[in-house]
Amino acid sequence: MSVNLTIAVAIIFVLMMLIIINKVRKGKLQLAYSIFWIISGIILIIVLLIPNCISNITNLLGFEVISNMIFFITIVMAFYLILQLMTELSKEAKRNVSLIQEISLLKKRVTDIENEKNKENKGE
Amino acid sequence: MRVLLIIPAYNEEENILNTCNKIKEFSKELDFVVINDGSKDNTLKILQENSINHINLIKNLGIGGAVQTGYKYAYENGYDIAIQFDGDGQHDVNYVSNICKPIIEGKADMAIGTRYLDKSASSFQSTFMRRLGSKIICALIKITTKTKVTDPTSGFRAVNKDIIEVFANEYPSDYPEPESIVNITNLGYKIMDVPVSMNEREGGKSSINVWKSAHYMIKVSLAIIIDSLNKRRVK
Repeated sequence: MSVNLTIAVAIIFVLMMLIIINKVRKGKLQLAYSIFWIISGIILIIVLLIPNCISNITNLLGFEVISNMIFFITIVMAFYLILQLMTELSKEAKRNVSLIQEISLLKKRVTDIENEKNKENKGE
Repeated sequence: MRVLLIIPAYNEEENILNTCNKIKEFSKELDFVVINDGSKDNTLKILQENSINHINLIKNLGIGGAVQTGYKYAYENGYDIAIQFDGDGQHDVNYVSNICKPIIEGKADMAIGTRYLDKSASSFQSTFMRRLGSKIICALIKITTKTKVTDPTSGFRAVNKDIIEVFANEYPSDYPEPESIVNITNLGYKIMDVPVSMNEREGGKSSINVWKSAHYMIKVSLAIIIDSLNKRRVK
């Protein structure tokens, strides 16, 4: 990889890390979700800083060109992330349903108690 | 024995009052609760004006979530038997005693009202495609759980106290009728068919659409197969 490209990629990733850390700091992103990005960012920068590291890994894994390996790894990671998000979403949906149910049941109970009270008051 | 009818209702302004009146005519001692699943029409107004016992879900949950609310209500109030009953006039309240019988006698934990067993009594056997769909689901349930049911999508069913607790804690949301059969058998409970007759819908529109049926069949089959992979526990 050319020196210019390495520098450009490094800058983009440093910027992304800063954005992520800033979001966590402001409470817009949970730390648990940011860890994935921070760790992968750190690994990427280390890999970029070691000369010939990427081409050595490419040869070791048997990919013909560097870009193929990078695309492959990125797609696998993206799939993993989507699955993770869907799991998280399902969990939230389940929580949401039980919240709606509990609130509705409570509301019914409150109305029943109010109605009973009104009846008693009218009876007096 | 305290018995509760759980009546899920979504946009049932045309039928709900009629259904409730029929239940009141049938027996004054039979408790029922209507679950208004965020209806967009006047269902809630009708329920309030006629002071019908109801729970108003603050947001639409779909049939599974609505029915589970009913089971939670039954569990909180210590009912012995809970019966699912449609609000659209499809089910006949006169069969309530029939459907309760196997549970009171302890012959089954869950009784499912089936429209396919007693051909003479049934005025409404539903369409050919629906029957075919039912047969396929039955076959799948038989293969995966070795349990024989004849009307897996029937929403007319009674359960005992144990299952009320099970359903209050965990109730399938995607295709609750066939899926709950698989889950209940996996837990080691016994299911029994009870012949009932069902009417054609008295008014309103059925939520099942012809084009959605193929989609439904694929997803329901997948749901049954996945549910059957759950660990079997013998009671």
